[in-house]
Amino acid sequence: MSGTDASARRGSGDGGAGAQRIRAEIVENERLPGEHRRLLLKAPRIAENARCGQFVHVWCHSPDELDRPPSAALLRRPYSISRVRPPDDIEIMMRVRGNGGRMLAGRSEGEELDVIGPLGNGFYIRESLRRAVVVAGGIGLAPVPFLLQTLNSRRVQVVLLVGAASDEMIPYRVERSGTDGGATLPELATLGGEVAFASEAVEGKLVTDLLEERLGELGAEGDEIMAIGPRAMLKRVAEMVGRRLPVQVSLEERMACGVGACRSCVVPSTDGAYKTVCRDGPVFYASEIDWERLDP
Amino acid sequence: MSGLDLTVRIGAMTMKNPVMVASGIFGYGDEFKGLANYGELGALVLKTITREPRAGNPPACRTAETPAGMVNAIGLENVGLDVFLRDKLPAALEYGTNIIASIAGETPEDFAECAGALDGSQVAGIEINISCPNVKKVGMSFGVDAEASSEVVSAVRGATGKPIIAKLTPNVTDIASIAMACEAAGADAISCTNTFSAMVIDVEKRCPLLAAGTGGLSGPAIRPAAVLRVYQVAQAVKCPVIGMGGIWNARDALEFILAGASAVAVGTALYADPAAGNRVLGGIRAYLEDHDVGAVGDLVGSVRL
Repeated sequence: MSGTDASARRGSGDGGAGAQRIRAEIVENERLPGEHRRLLLKAPRIAENARCGQFVHVWCHSPDELDRPPSAALLRRPYSISRVRPPDDIEIMMRVRGNGGRMLAGRSEGEELDVIGPLGNGFYIRESLRRAVVVAGGIGLAPVPFLLQTLNSRRVQVVLLVGAASDEMIPYRVERSGTDGGATLPELATLGGEVAFASEAVEGKLVTDLLEERLGELGAEGDEIMAIGPRAMLKRVAEMVGRRLPVQVSLEERMACGVGACRSCVVPSTDGAYKTVCRDGPVFYASEIDWERLDP
Repeated sequence: MSGLDLTVRIGAMTMKNPVMVASGIFGYGDEFKGLANYGELGALVLKTITREPRAGNPPACRTAETPAGMVNAIGLENVGLDVFLRDKLPAALEYGTNIIASIAGETPEDFAECAGALDGSQVAGIEINISCPNVKKVGMSFGVDAEASSEVVSAVRGATGKPIIAKLTPNVTDIASIAMACEAAGADAISCTNTFSAMVIDVEKRCPLLAAGTGGLSGPAIRPAAVLRVYQVAQAVKCPVIGMGGIWNARDALEFILAGASAVAVGTALYADPAAGNRVLGGIRAYLEDHDVGAVGDLVGSVRL
């Protein structure tokens, strides 16, 4: 695992430094399959500096109403940067569930959002990376387009494995046409790379099953796994792969401040300390996380 | 340039205006760097430290959003006194305004040791967190009892010449008696108030949402209750009172000032608006000008009953 030492990356990565607070115009607010939503924001200074895996912290109400305390969605909401559209725009993607998402879903194109970002440490793309297997579960897909963009621009071969409980749990159209019984996501396939999809409801498989089928071919020096999704999935990926090749995971946790101050979003790390998902993460090497002590 | 007098004095500490940042919210200060002009504010109170580092509560769920508020149970996770003095304080001092350290401990001697170590530092003052409701042994046992509160304040008073501020818990029957005990023991000011003890239950799992079981409620939800506590304390003590609890805008801050607070601190609002303190300060200035009040001190405690 030379060249991928977690502490080396940590040393250079302060996941809050350089974040900007801006008013970003909502260029598009589009409904996606399932209960998903995609927002395209004009956020030049964030678009310029963002790295894949980083997030933005969004005030869901109008920036003109900052002086009035809201009764719901008092705190900002963290959203992965889903894609960067140079030079100025970023995309965020969400499943609309709680107060914050509903509020954002109701905001009109042309309105502005108060956004802080880019925040956190994103995926580390080492020079020697040749092939990345990206494992995404459900709304863990949110940062995947940006990750694929980045990997492709660095000429890294991409295998994307996606899983969900059902087709409705992902924001993309599913295509099942092959005679091999496999499913794919055409919109992500156009970003480059091989894309395989499995839903528990139709294929009866988990994304970790897809990974298991491919595990035998992995293990070369230039291989790496990048996983985003529920903790049970991340833990299973980490256990399955062990120390055979580097695994990066992107964690989610409830946040309040988003900049490492409040210590709400901490996770147990193998060095015995707690790490903040917002500032030390959200992307960690699996070897940095104490999976036994991590809350499921 | 207006001729407004916004200055506030707390013991030997002079603040250029009455707006502060409340402890716990702001970390050690450097986390928020670049998100607002914090040097413009009267003082910044940093996260509570203890003599030794503390890991805090289990990391499963430490914060829950509630209507117009949030409940937190961080459990005083902190880097400890030594790292604070070596790494954190120098970074916070770069803001160029008063930096106040907040301390907690398990015994009066713990508090005194922290205060003694801070005495030679560049902190402008020391806030005594006798009221954090999250930790079973630390803090709570002092703040709910006048005699225990007095012992802690006395111990700190004996260890430092810096201005000391006792931060009270609202989770008591008679907050005025605790405030008076702290003042008599040598506190230069009273911070009022810390969070209200609270619980959130996950009805699907039928267990508390927070890993610690209970936590402290902050945010606009507690503001009217906090204003009353400030009023009660200000009636009872002669020293300055620092009002806090759900302040979101200048009108909220003015309620506290009219109730008797000489200064105010912004907390939870910073998570929505990192420049909330600056916004509150601007609003207070505008109010004073609009109402022909020359000094913010003229408003303190001037509520008419």
